[in-house]
Order: sequence, then C-alpha cells, then structure tokens
Amino acid sequence: MSFWQINWSLLQGFGNTCVIFFVTLVLAVPLGLVVTFGSMSRFAPLRWLTRAFVLVIRGTPLMLQIFIVFYVPGLVFGISTGSSRMIPALVAFVINYAAYFSEIYRGGIQSIPQSQYEAGQVLGMTRRQVFFRVVLLQVVKRILPPMSNEVITLVKDTSLARIIGVVELLKNAEHFAQYGLIWPLFYTGLFYLAFSGLVTLVFRWAEKKLDYYKG
Amino acid sequence: MKKWIAALTGLAMAGMMFTGCGAAEAEDWEYIQQKGTLVIGYTIFDPMNYTDENGKLIGFDTELAEAVCEKLGVTPEFVEIDWANKVMELNSKKIDCAWNGMTILEELKENVDFSMPYSENYQTCVIRKADAEKYTTTAEMAGARIGVEAGSAGEAAVQDNADLSKGTVTSLTAQRNTLLELKAGTLDVAVIDGVMALASVGEGTDFDDLMVVPGIQLSKEEYGIGFRKNSPETVAKVNQALQELANEGKVAELAEKYPSVLVTLEAE
Repeated sequence: MSFWQINWSLLQGFGNTCVIFFVTLVLAVPLGLVVTFGSMSRFAPLRWLTRAFVLVIRGTPLMLQIFIVFYVPGLVFGISTGSSRMIPALVAFVINYAAYFSEIYRGGIQSIPQSQYEAGQVLGMTRRQVFFRVVLLQVVKRILPPMSNEVITLVKDTSLARIIGVVELLKNAEHFAQYGLIWPLFYTGLFYLAFSGLVTLVFRWAEKKLDYYKG
Repeated sequence: MKKWIAALTGLAMAGMMFTGCGAAEAEDWEYIQQKGTLVIGYTIFDPMNYTDENGKLIGFDTELAEAVCEKLGVTPEFVEIDWANKVMELNSKKIDCAWNGMTILEELKENVDFSMPYSENYQTCVIRKADAEKYTTTAEMAGARIGVEAGSAGEAAVQDNADLSKGTVTSLTAQRNTLLELKAGTLDVAVIDGVMALASVGEGTDFDDLMVVPGIQLSKEEYGIGFRKNSPETVAKVNQALQELANEGKVAELAEKYPSVLVTLEAE
C-alpha cells in the first residue's frame, strides 16, 4: 500500500473521529447547562439527584460507560438496539461530557457576584432576565479557558470508541499494525495534534473576540 | 426520601431480572430470519478472516460463512470485534455468531452453543528469528516474556504448561497483537494458534523476522462456530448447511485455497 492509500484510509477513520467530536460537542454543551440548573436547583431532591449523577459519571471510567450503554440494553433488558455501534458510543460521550461541562458552568455562574442580581432586581428585572441578559455572557467569557481544556481532551477521548468496534482513526491505524505495518499507528498522533491545534486557535480567537468587555 | 430511593432502585432491579429471563426464551432462528442478516463477529486472523491488498475481507472462514449464509437465505454482515467481549456481544445480540477459528472449549459451553467442529488446530510458540538458538524447548522459555490473546486457547495452554506458566504472561486483545509485540521487542514468545502462525510468519509474510519454534504442539483442539446459548435451531440449520457444502465439494475447494487450515469436515 502506498503512503497516499494509507493516508486516505486514515482520513476515512478521521471522518468518524470528527463525527464523534462534533456531535458530542453540539449535544453536550446545551445538555450540560440543563445539568447545571439541576445541580443548582433550590428544590433539594432534584439537586441531590443531579449531583449524584455527576458523581457517578465523573467517578467511573468513560470506557466502562461506553460498555454499559452498548451492552446493557441487550444483556439485561433483551432489547435489540440495532447494529449501529456509533450511536451507543455517541450516547455515552454526550452524557459523560455533559456532566463535566455542567461543573464548569456551575463554577462560572457562581463566580458572578450576587450584587449583580441585586442590582438587576433594583432595576425591576426578574431573576430569569438577569441570568440571561447580564450573567450568562460574562459566564461564557469566564469559562472559555476550562472549556478549551475539556474540548481538547474530547479530541483524544474519541479514540475510546474503538473498544466497541467504531472504526475511527486509531482503529484504522491498528488495522494496519495487525498486518505488521506499524508507522501509521504513531502517525495518527499528527492528526490528533493538528486537530487539537485547530481547537486551540478557535478558542484563542473566541477569547480575543470577548475581550472587549471586562467581566 | 432515602427509603423512597431504595424502594425504587429495588423495583428497577427486580424488573431487570424478569425481563432478562424473558429475553433468552425468544427463538433465536426466527429472530435472525426476520431481520434477514447474520451478523458475524471476527478478528483479523490469517488465514480465517483477513483483508487482501484491495481491503476486501477474505479467508477460509469468511468464504465459508458467505456460502453458509447463501444456503440459509440470509445476508452475512461481518463486524470486527474485540475477541475478549465475544460472549457479551452474542448475549446482547450485537452479533449473531462468533466465527473466527473459535476453539471449542468446555468452559465456554456454559455460555455459548457451538456448531459441529469443522477444522482442527494446535497451540504453538512464535519467536524472533534472532532468538532461534535461545528458545528451542518450553523449558528454556520459563523466564521469558510471553504474550497470549485474552480468553484464547493459547492463554489456557500457557496456564496448563508447567514451564510456560513460570514466565511473565501478558494477555492482549488479539492474537495479531502478540506478533506485533514480538516485532517491537516487548515480548519474547507468543503462544498462538498453529494455523495462524503457519500462515502469518516467516518468509514472504508481513512478519518475516519471526519464526515458529519447530516441534512444539501444546494442545490439540477443534474449531467451531459460536452461537448464543439456547439457540438449537440456529445451530441445526448451520450444521446442515455445513454438511451440504462438504458434500458438494465446496469445503474441499476452500481447503485447497487456504492450505494452512487443517479442515476436518468431510463429505458423507
């Protein structure tokens, strides 16, 4: 196989890596906010339940969570979830990342001084109005650095999907390695590095864009 | 509140057990026939399942499975799995059979239904050519770094062997990975299927710097196809198709095409 054929094959795997990355991001970012509202709720049972959820998700390996989502419906409930391997992987990724994101959001929201809510109330705004019009934008600015950390981790975590047979970048490279062609395995590092570099640039650009106001 | 949660989880668990029992009783063959595909779990295992230069999946088991599926009127769908998870893949209905030079093991019969045996095999030791003089008997391998596939017959053979079990044994996810580690120098001996070793190492293969240690046959065994537990009808259908293919000469034809497979299935 020529160098370009191998590159082409790796790129096809990289396509699936990108699918895992973008779908997880698009779904986990809003879902994380929902989890945050749960863990900051004034209704105690909901707060406990959400915090227990976050504890379990952050306290167990993502690899184990992927196994559970993929095998447990069929093993325990006898439900056939179809032959897709990508969808169960995505479900596990979205749940896992939503839990991590929610804690970053909570940190951001709680870092905004209480006085801003009070000032808003003096001006006759409801708590909801204050949150969406005043607090949220400042939160976005403050959480960008920790979010970039998590998102770069996601770039590399996508490789975990191969344990249930999702053909992504690393699995494709392993395929070559099984035939004794080892360099593609290490070569995938360049793909991940380039992707993470791109993510870093996007975050730097976003931080710069939000730099015009002091939060 | 806490009592509530306890009661709820208890109820959920009881529910799981009931539905779990119910699921196993559904007739397996009807389920496969209804969806029209037989999902076959495999790993890269030369000469059973492997890809040619164009990336097409070929091999003795691949072609035999295609022939059997044609007889049964279902479409084969090949999925590369992690071999250590094969029983979980079967029970969760992610695959319908494990067909990849699967050794018929007594321990596995508790959880897997096997087809009739169609070929045989033995476990053998693979080393680097550079170590040809260092390792000639199992006694000399007692202190070596030994690699096997997790859950494989090779792993069992190493545990049962008085000399090999003294080595540092590492279980990997596929037999091929043991060859890779030999090449990389992180293992000294790989204990794998003789059928695979003969086809994969030596001159003209991807692993021409490796060799099979001559004269070591650790355990004789038979290959069968693994199905979900309690699927007698599926097994019967596949057995019948296998015997028909043997009678028609298809099996002998495949045996000629893949000479390293030690086929035992003969025409009646």
